[in-house]
This record gives sequence, structure tokens and C-alpha cells, in this order.
Amino acid sequence: MERSFSREVDSLKLGAGEIFRGEGIVAVTKALLQSGVSYVGGYQGAPVSHLLDVLVQAEDVLEDLGVHLETCTNEAAAAAMLGASINYPLRGAVTWKSIVGTNVAADALSNLASPGVIGGAMIIIGEDYGEGASVIQERSYAFAMKSGIWLLDPRPDLPTIVACVEQGFELSEATHAPVMLELRIRACHVTGEFEAKDNRRAVYSGLNRIAGPPPFRYGRLAHPPVTFAQERCKVEERLPAAQTFIRERRLNEFLDGDLSDIGIVVLGGLAHNVLRALERLGLADIFGASRVPIHVLNVAYPLVPDEVRGFCLGKRAVLVVEEGYPDYIEQAIQVELRRAAIQTSVYGKGCLPKAGEYTSAVLLDGLAGFFSAARPSGLDVDAIAERAGALQAQKESAAAALGELPARPPTFCTGCPERPVFSAIKLMEREIGKTHISADIGCHSFATFAPFSLGNSILGYGMSLASAAAVGPNLERRPIAIMGDGGFWHNGVITGVAGHLFNAGDGVLIIMQNGYTSATGQQAMPSSASSRTGSPPGMNIEKTLRSLGVKWLRKVRTYGVADMLATLKEAMRTAERGLKVIIADGECQLARQRRLRTEEAGKLARGARLVRARYGVDDEICTGDHSCIRLSGCPSLTVKPNPDPLRTDPVATVIESCVGCGLCGEVAHAAVLCPSFYRVEIIRNPNFFDRLLFAWRNRVIGWLGGRIAEAGG
Amino acid sequence: MSPRPIHLLIAALGGEGGGVLTGWVIAAAARHGLPAQSTSIPGVAQRTGATTYYVEILPVPAAELGGRRPVFALHPGIGDVDLLLASELLEAGRAVGAGFVTPDRTFVIASTHRFFVMEEKMAMGDGRLDDAHLVHAIERQAKQSRLFDMERLAAQSGSMVNAVMLGAIAGSGVLPIPPELFEAAIRQDGKAVEANLRGFGAGLAAVRRRVPARPAADEQDRAASATDAVLAKAAAELPDAAREIVLEGIRRLIKYQDVSYAQLYLRRLANIREADARTGAGGKLLREAARHLALRMSFEDVIRVAQAKLDPGRFARIAKAMHVGPGEPFAIVEFLKPGIDELASVLPPRLAGAMLWLSRRFPRLGRLHWGMAVRSTSITGYLQFRLLRALKRWRPRTHRFRAEQQAIEAWLARIAAAAEISADLAIEVAECARLIKGYGDTHKRGSANYFAIDTRIIRPALAGRIPAARAIDAVASARTAALADAEGENLARCLAEIEAGTPAAPG
Repeated sequence: MERSFSREVDSLKLGAGEIFRGEGIVAVTKALLQSGVSYVGGYQGAPVSHLLDVLVQAEDVLEDLGVHLETCTNEAAAAAMLGASINYPLRGAVTWKSIVGTNVAADALSNLASPGVIGGAMIIIGEDYGEGASVIQERSYAFAMKSGIWLLDPRPDLPTIVACVEQGFELSEATHAPVMLELRIRACHVTGEFEAKDNRRAVYSGLNRIAGPPPFRYGRLAHPPVTFAQERCKVEERLPAAQTFIRERRLNEFLDGDLSDIGIVVLGGLAHNVLRALERLGLADIFGASRVPIHVLNVAYPLVPDEVRGFCLGKRAVLVVEEGYPDYIEQAIQVELRRAAIQTSVYGKGCLPKAGEYTSAVLLDGLAGFFSAARPSGLDVDAIAERAGALQAQKESAAAALGELPARPPTFCTGCPERPVFSAIKLMEREIGKTHISADIGCHSFATFAPFSLGNSILGYGMSLASAAAVGPNLERRPIAIMGDGGFWHNGVITGVAGHLFNAGDGVLIIMQNGYTSATGQQAMPSSASSRTGSPPGMNIEKTLRSLGVKWLRKVRTYGVADMLATLKEAMRTAERGLKVIIADGECQLARQRRLRTEEAGKLARGARLVRARYGVDDEICTGDHSCIRLSGCPSLTVKPNPDPLRTDPVATVIESCVGCGLCGEVAHAAVLCPSFYRVEIIRNPNFFDRLLFAWRNRVIGWLGGRIAEAGG
Repeated sequence: MSPRPIHLLIAALGGEGGGVLTGWVIAAAARHGLPAQSTSIPGVAQRTGATTYYVEILPVPAAELGGRRPVFALHPGIGDVDLLLASELLEAGRAVGAGFVTPDRTFVIASTHRFFVMEEKMAMGDGRLDDAHLVHAIERQAKQSRLFDMERLAAQSGSMVNAVMLGAIAGSGVLPIPPELFEAAIRQDGKAVEANLRGFGAGLAAVRRRVPARPAADEQDRAASATDAVLAKAAAELPDAAREIVLEGIRRLIKYQDVSYAQLYLRRLANIREADARTGAGGKLLREAARHLALRMSFEDVIRVAQAKLDPGRFARIAKAMHVGPGEPFAIVEFLKPGIDELASVLPPRLAGAMLWLSRRFPRLGRLHWGMAVRSTSITGYLQFRLLRALKRWRPRTHRFRAEQQAIEAWLARIAAAAEISADLAIEVAECARLIKGYGDTHKRGSANYFAIDTRIIRPALAGRIPAARAIDAVASARTAALADAEGENLARCLAEIEAGTPAAPG
């Protein structure tokens, strides 16, 4: 795993009255334990990876509480796992990244929500929305609405988040419906504190198992004809029950304000940024006291009609603040007010944009727009508009002064084993021409950025091969699908490989076997060398492919660019029809370096012999064309001013962060670039023979008129 | 009047330890009893991509708030940032461009160090952004700024850049937290404590000391090889603007071949010098032509590569750069992949001609290359390079040498002819030599681009079919286009556009 969570694990052990300090997503983890869960599971992904990562490292805490932890192979498995709460009084929680994970889980979610649950079932969804996001922007809200799952969207401070988790389980049990708790990326990583409670052992768990299955009840199945009864139950019983629970428990908040003829309805997750915007406009203080009345929806779905009507009654206008589109809440409020014949004007999209992240500047602008339109009494609206306008102007003038700056997208790490594969694909394209590249989710999608710019489509995690199914038969050349080992086990083995074989396709599949789900923080997966328990999971991609019936299969060490190039050309040119799989084998360099650093530090301390390699470029030989950079893209391979007074173009250089993977040398060779690259091998703690050989070479080369080192070893 | 939190925005690159840095800041605030909150956007975007961290600290101890809790925001606001800290110059510029730096409020502390983005690195010529432009924009927008090389301070301290940044935060005085508490946060973490404290101290001192924005450039090591006194005298008569370049050219060519080759250089320059004076170019034409002529005459053949690999002092230079400890044995492995072209280049013209004809006739032969990884610090490896280097005396009789001299003469003739029209056109033509560089495919591509520009713009211009003003512009844009992409798409488009406006050649 990418990092150690020992401090976070300690914080999971805090007892009643002690103060938890840490980030939001770990606070959720602690809240789960305080709620007495019997099982936890999920599939990793930003921004919720830490929830599982912490638990994986907290084996003793889980054992003590009897909590079962499942690191699921995909989100569908995680959602299906909640099925335990349909028949048994077991509280359980699963987590994944949304919207993508929710899409994958959708089938199980429908079939979970229909019969409903008797044990509290919670889904923690991390919204990877806005700056730094890696998925398409769609609202998880739609899933909650269509399936009848209650959606919590707490204010982004730790006490509220923790309370929402605890009350969410109660809500789920009281209404027999599963609950989603939505956290945006910044809320997952927000730091704060809350007063902890003792962790709770569940009544039934691994420590106290249930005697046997319940008596057979057809009503617990999502299967006709009971689905019709369940459909009615969802809207006629569970929904009103949820609305009652939310109202009685006061899950939503009302902040009073003296500007009583207007109001703001805001989703909990956005409430702090709205309060800050009001503070900056002089309408709130730093402690959350606002002049504008605010209705904070810590429960985004369902809306409680009485609460909304009560809030809007007597107001000329309200602003609804919800990020993304469609404007579900704005529409719902319109309908509720119409039904109650309340004439309050509802503003929302229009003042605020339909698309894009609601950053500080966007909210400030939107609020100013709302005030200008609604003109509440007792407020100098023009002064506010002027203030917002000045900030906007400031932004525009700063942007104009700088001009367009080049983006800095993420890229493959130094020494990444996946990069050489794309170097080889680029070289292959030079020889046989371009072909369709079906990209996938994972670190390898960085190949879509410069300098590779490879990839024609991305259809989802593990979907690359399936997404090329109709491309191959319609294109001159065989398409190449790229898939990580993470994507392979997530679903690519079935949707991609089995589907391709079943339909006798003729494509090329490259599987990046780096041993972890690296992009999400190097979690273990079925073909990892070791699992969270330490023992190898024992599943093997090559054997799996063979058993499925893949005939053309090559395993190539990724750093061997020439080999990879030859294998690619063979796969593209061979007359043999059928699926051609290349397993690009090379351990994630981040994980490898973490291991090596410890090993090497140990060796150095022990005085054991150690050879370290690093690469370099001869300034004098490099002519500053940068072909090497265009073929490698390594962060450690960069440029520096040309030391030659006659030349102006910067020369290539290898910086200190080089891990000696050898790609630059390989590329220089495979592409016949230039003779400027060299490798230095330094022997730390040399033995007698190393010293002798070095001294001898030094002496002879000295006779020949050269000089290696000052002193002869 | 309610208190106002202090807003700290940190712009950094993934992998620089920004998460640890914000952790230190939060820990220090907690030690001081101040309510604080940090947030960040980690995830895949962190893998060396641009990222930000955001911290809010209330400068009033929690104990004095009477149980009230501040509401902190998750996003920085335009006009609201008190301290912008950037680990890299472009990232500081990005934060300024996004509007987060305002003259009434923001203290900017940024590293002058550049970590080039791919777009800058992969350009075929020089794609780097103008640092001065960034520095100017940052300083103009900021209320106050301190720009210094954090990367260098980190390297000197043996710490990560985040420790230097923490020191800078402490030294800025923007936060009401004494430096000892930040140090205590580092100690509490318990990782690389000594190095991090050194980095912290360096960052703190740099902010307080008002380090100049632009550190003086390193003095270039221009250890001159023997320059013949006579040649130096000849050079002394040259115009100021060109003197340094010509001297460098002379040194270069003596080392590359011999004194008489350097004399040839001066003879070749004589015509240019005359044209420079005649057209009133003020030495600029001479300087540019001299620069490119020296580079063209010291073309990159295998002999030159061997010369460079065995350059006295190279092994020691590499050992120093790679931090080889005293008494530590090391080896250097050189990557070479000569092909038919390289082999032919050191043969006499007739033999080389036959070989090249064969390689054209049999393309497989033309693609033949020998991949070699030669250990130049071993005795046999050293001897291989020695042998290659010894071919220096044989060089004037090689095929490549003859071919290069012909090409150089043709290029000089073009410059001279262009100078008849205008000095600017002559300078543009001289500049085109920049396209011819590198080895193997790179060299072939560059030469082909040069010839395309020569045939399709320079010659028609010299023949008077393109007006001078337009020709100057056309040559410059074609050159830029040739350096825009390796596939030649930009150049092809540019040449087509230029030709569309050029009368066809007679006949």
C-alpha cells in the first residue's frame, strides 16, 4: 500500500470523551465502528480509498470488534455484499468512488433497495467532482431517487459527518431502506476534530454468529410478484417514514436571519462555502451566524415537504444551491411550493451555473446575482454587486496579465513500468502506422497526455477490450486495447476477454501487470504478490487467460523496449486470427522503490555491497532535439540551459530523482536516437575485488592517458 | 466584528510532500491552540501533476471563543488569500492567473525553480516559458513577495522541499505561530527530523533575509583549449558583437580537428564579415553565421562522440554529479547504436558511396544497427573509444567530411546571396542551420526540413520571386514550423501557404 496509516489506526481506537483529530474519511471510518457495524467492504478509488486502507491496516481493531472486512473485486460485489442486511439484523457499510462505482453497482443496488433491509445498510460514496477529478461529472442523486435510497450530504465538518453516519444507520433501520452518505473530495480530506465515543460491538458478528437462516420469506427477494408490493411499500411506507424521521431527528438545519423575506436552501456539503461567501459579502460572521435565513439539507434525498414549505412561507424568494445538473432539488421545491400554493420565487440554476464546480468565486457571484434579482429589503444590493464585480474583474485582469499557461496534468511516475509500453507503441506506429487504441481506467490512461497522446476512447474500468469489439471489424488495422491488472480483475476478464473469445474477435490486448491497483494507492488485488493478510492470493493472469482459451499469449518485461516493439509488431502482423494478449510485466515502481529504499538503507547500514545505477546525458553530445523526451516522458528526464555558448536550444538532462529504470537508454537504442545517454553504476561498500578491479582499470587507463578517479580506489 | 481566519494556499506538484506539509501546519496551529482546517485534492491527479492544498487558521485561540466553532471553507476565495506558497515558479504563476493573489492582501512566497512541463520539454527547439514574465506578473500582483530557489535550499539541506516551505511559512510572519512550534511539529512526526529541521531553517532564513529574486547565474566553465595566438589576433580585429562567438568557434574547431581547420573557419567568415559591414548589420549577421558555422564544421560524427566521451575530466565530472563517494568504484556504460550511415561516414567517399547505394537498394541493410553498451571505464571499452578518437586525423578524407563541407559551402553561398538583398534575410538563412542537428533519424529529418525550406523558399526568394520583406518572414515562419512537430505536418502546411502566394518558377 502506498502509505502507512499507523497514526490513523490509533485514532480508530479512541474511546468516549477522547478527541479524534484527522481527516474526514477516517472520521467516517471511526463513526462506522462507533455505530456497531458487523461488516465493511468496498472498492478503492479517490477520494474514499483511505476508508478501506485504514481498515486493512487495522486488523486488530476489526478482530476485537468482530467486524468482517471485505476488499471487494468491484463495486457490484460491494453493493451485493449489503444483501446481508436484507435478512439479518446486521449493520454494514460499503464504499466506492461515485459516479463510476455507483454505475457498476447499479444492478445490486436496485435489488437491494426493492426488498429493503432490516439491518442498517450504508454506502459511503466519494464524489470525485471538480478540480483534480478523474471521472465524468454526473449526480449520484439520480440513483438515490430512482432506487429509493436515502442520500445524506452532511455539512463538511467532522461532528456533523460523524453524526450523519450514526443517525444514517438508524434512519436505514427505521425505514428499511439503504442509505448513501455522500462526501465530496475536499470533505473527505478535510481535517478537523470531534469527541469520540467507544467503538460498539454488534449484537451479531463474527464474535457472535447467527444460528441459522430465517424462515423462508418470499418477500425478501427482489423477484416478481413481490416486487410490485415492494414498489408500493417504497413510496407509501418507507418514504413517509424517512421524512418523519428526518423531521423529528432534525437532520436538516435551519439558520435564522434578519433578512427574513429571502432565504437559501443549500445542500449540507456546500453549506460552508455558502456561509463563507456570505461572510465575504458582509452578511454572515465566521461562526456561521447569517443575516440570510438558511435551510441546510444534510439529507439531500428525500426532501421533507413540510420543512421546505415552512421555510419558504412568507419569503419573496429563495435560492437553491445544488451542484451539477439536473437541478433535482430546485424542481422538487418548485413542485412542493406549487402544491401548497406558496408564491415564493425559486432561484437556482441561472443565478448559479448548470455545470462546473461551485468554487468560492462561483458562489460569491451566484449569491450577488440572487440578491440583485430578489432585492431583499434592508440590503444595499448594489454595493454587494459591486463587490462581486470587483473580484471578478481582479480575476480577469490577473488571467490577462499572465496569458495562457501550459497545463501540468499528472503523468507516469519516474521509472514507471507502464511508460516503456507506450514508447514501444509510438515506435511501432512509426513502422506500421497508427491504429485504434482503446484506453482504460488506471495509471496507463496518462498515456493520453503528451508526449504519448495515445488513446481513442475510454469507456470505463476494465472496458477497453469490450469497447474495441465493433472497432476491429470496421478498421483496417487491429485495434489495441490497454488494460491494467486492476481493470482485468475488476471486470475486464469477463466483459473483455471472455466476450472477445466468445465472439471470435481479432484484436490485441495489452495487460499492464504491475501487481497492484496503483492509481488508487497500491492496494492488493487477486494477482498481487501478497494480500492484506500477507499470503499471496494465488490468482494468476496468465493461467486465467490460458484456461479461458487464449492461444496467442506473450509475457514481456516492460523495460525491454526493443522486445516489446518486436512483440507488438508480431501481434499486429501475424496471420493468426483471434485474441493476441501481451502481458506487460513490471512491478509498480512506486511500490518497488518503497521496498528497495528500506532494503538498501539496511544494506548500507550493515556494510553490505550495493550497486546503484543512475542515468545521465552528455551535454556536449546532446544536440537539444528532445526526441528522447518525446519518446519517454519521464519526469526525471528534463531539460536544462545549454552550457555550450554556441547553442541556444536547451539540452536534455537526467535529474536526481532518477531511479535507474533504464528506459532512456532503451529508448535511445530502440529508436536509434543519439549516443548521449550513459549509465553510471556506483558500488557502495565495495568488496576487495571491486576495489582491485577499479584500481587496475584506473591505472591502465592512466597509462593510456585518461583518468577515472583522483585516487586509485 | 468577528475575527477573520488567515487563508493559506499552497500550490505544489504531486509527490512533493504537500500533505505532510499541511499536516505540520495544522499540528503547529493545534499546539498554539488555534482552530485550523486543511483540505486537499489528492488522488490520481497527484502523480506529479499540479495540485493545491488549502489551510484556514483562526488567529484567536479556541479557548477564547466561548464554545463557538468557526465555519471554515473548503475552497480558497479570490481576494481572500493571505499567503500563497508555491514550490515551483509556474505553479505560483498558475495561482496568480486564477486570481488568488491580490495586491491588497497576498504575501507570495515562491520558488524560482522550474520543473518544466511536458510541453516545454518536448519542443524540438526551445519551448521553455519566459521566467521573467512569470516573476514580473507575480511581483506585480502580490502585496509582498519573496522568490528564491527552494529546490536548491532543499538539496543543500538534504530535505524535501516541503520542509523549506514550512520554514518559509514560519518566516513570513503571516501566521501568529512562533517558529518553535513548527519545529516541534517536525519533531513530533519523527521522520528525517534532522534533515527536515535543516530545510526548515533554510526556508525560514531565506524569507527573513530578503534573498534576491534572481540568483546570479552560475559562471560558465569556459576552460579554453589552446587557442593559437595568431588566430586570437585575427579575432581581435572582429566587431565586438561577434568576437566572443568567433573565439569560441576557433577553440571548438582546434579541439575538433586542428589549427588549419580553424583557419578555414576564419577564411569562410571573411566573406560574411564583409557582407555584415556592407549591409550595416552591426556584427549581428557575422555573429549568427559564425555561431552556426562553428557548429556545422564540428558536425556530430562518431569521432566527435568518442572525443567527447573521453574528454579529460569527464569521468570525474560525472562522479561528482552522481555523488560518488571517495574510494567508491564506479563504472560508466555508454549506449551507442551505430548503423550503416555511421559506418559509411568514416569511410572514404567511393567506398561509402557504394555502401550507401547498397543500403538504398536493400532497405533491410539500411536499417541495420549494432546496439552497443560500452563500458568506457573498462580497459577494452576505453580502448574502443580511443581507437575511434584516433580516426580524427583520418577525418578529412572521410565521406561525411566531404559531404558536410559541400553542404556548408552551399549554405554560405546562400547567405552571401541573401546578403545582396538584405542583412535580415541573410540572418534568417544563416539561422536555418539550426534545423540540422542530432544523429540518425533526427539528423535526417532536420536536413530534409532544411532542404525543403531551401528549395521552396530561399531559392525562389534569391531568384527574386518573393519580395524581401515577405521572404524574411517566410523563412522565419517555416523554421518555426519545422521545429513545431516531429511529423513535419506544420512545416508542410506552412510551406504550402507560402507557395500559394508565390509566383511559379519560370519554365
